[in-house]
Amino acid sequence: MRRRIKIQEWRALLLAAALCVCAWDCARAQNAEENHAGYVPVLSGGLGYIHTVSGGVPALEPQINPVLLVPFGHQLLLESRTDFTGFFERRDLTSGPFTGKIYKTVEFAQLDWLADTHVMAVAGKYLLPFGLYNERLQPIWIRNLQDTPITLPIGTRTSGSGMGVMLRGAATQQTSYSIQYSAYFSARSGINQLDAARTAGGDASIYLNNAHLEIGTSYQRFLQDHRINSSAVYLSWQPAAEMVDMKAEYDYSYNGSGYWLETAYRLQKLPIPAFFQRLQAVGRIQYFAPLNGGGNGLPRINTQRFDAGLNYYFRDDFRLISSYGRSFSSQQNANVWNVGFTYRFLFPLWPARKR
Amino acid sequence: MKRRIIIPFLLIASSLGAVGAATLGPYSAPQHSTQPAPAASRKPPIQAGERIFQENCARCHTPPMSLPQRITGTVVMHMRVRARLSHKDQQLLLKYLTP
Repeated sequence: MRRRIKIQEWRALLLAAALCVCAWDCARAQNAEENHAGYVPVLSGGLGYIHTVSGGVPALEPQINPVLLVPFGHQLLLESRTDFTGFFERRDLTSGPFTGKIYKTVEFAQLDWLADTHVMAVAGKYLLPFGLYNERLQPIWIRNLQDTPITLPIGTRTSGSGMGVMLRGAATQQTSYSIQYSAYFSARSGINQLDAARTAGGDASIYLNNAHLEIGTSYQRFLQDHRINSSAVYLSWQPAAEMVDMKAEYDYSYNGSGYWLETAYRLQKLPIPAFFQRLQAVGRIQYFAPLNGGGNGLPRINTQRFDAGLNYYFRDDFRLISSYGRSFSSQQNANVWNVGFTYRFLFPLWPARKR
Repeated sequence: MKRRIIIPFLLIASSLGAVGAATLGPYSAPQHSTQPAPAASRKPPIQAGERIFQENCARCHTPPMSLPQRITGTVVMHMRVRARLSHKDQQLLLKYLTP
């Protein structure tokens, strides 16, 4: 019986490999005719180092998040991101030598099939598309403030990733607007580095081209243990004439509800010396109120927080970051300081073919 | 304690900033290296691919200033999945990045 299963597994693997090779070869031939775009595998990602002082307790957080992109023609893409984050604190919190460890997490490892003009199918471990943050703003080199919003655990339990299948794409595209969607089902998985909860959900957003405004909503049904619903509404706005980036989100779940509002402003277009034009000022306010005792990664008491940050862009891929935040709750008011740098890398995994 | 951390950081940040500003020159808006230089007298109409590039990249992050041609296809595929772009947008982006 066991032997039979093994043989079947090998057959399935061989068939999958053969299909991949066929798809890759057909698509490669098509690409050569269509344009000069290269489809070489890519290693990308971000790295950074953050020195944080939270409530008087210093911590050092070096991070690297490599992203691997391997295309098979122009319709299949294998992509994965692994996060390596070190967390080092003083032995007695405020005194003694720094000790800690490095945490490794496979955040996604997925196969994308760009099936149709409106449909893409994703299989494997993928980031849960809930709200603005988890799927889009999580990488260290993207986020304007290094601390994540308080409401991030809403709709992203238990690991921030799903293990299963997802359909996504552009439902419709008009001159003045487009509508995007995602719908997924995730199975429960306890496999090391592939852990996920049994959930189903989706996300839809409308983007208004002329206003540069995106409005969206997300929903998730948690389908294991205590079954709960989570939902979110969000907006993202980048006025064309200004260097402003405004994002806001409201999240609701059984464990609580809250919102965050973040605005970032690049001084690039101001009539000031070039040195200061590289600055970016960031501000964020957020509030969370627990329901049914909170928990599941959320605070158990009402919490308010504001953050103000100043980032300095040496280049589009390298910046210094700094921020100050103050958290207010009935238990403790605390200051949070962050300073450090982030860098985005992007390079081909092998050289171009000689013509 | 906090002051002891912040003051050296500010000193280091400002000196690094000064070195960066001196060595890199004035910062300009991210532009792709293959983009044709605009005429001095009038601003050229924005291409569809360029508009998609700026809107969809800048919605989440700072767009890259340049992209090696041999990886544009791969990066645009990744971008299409992340930003949920249509096939038409993907083609326009490829046309803009690899004319």
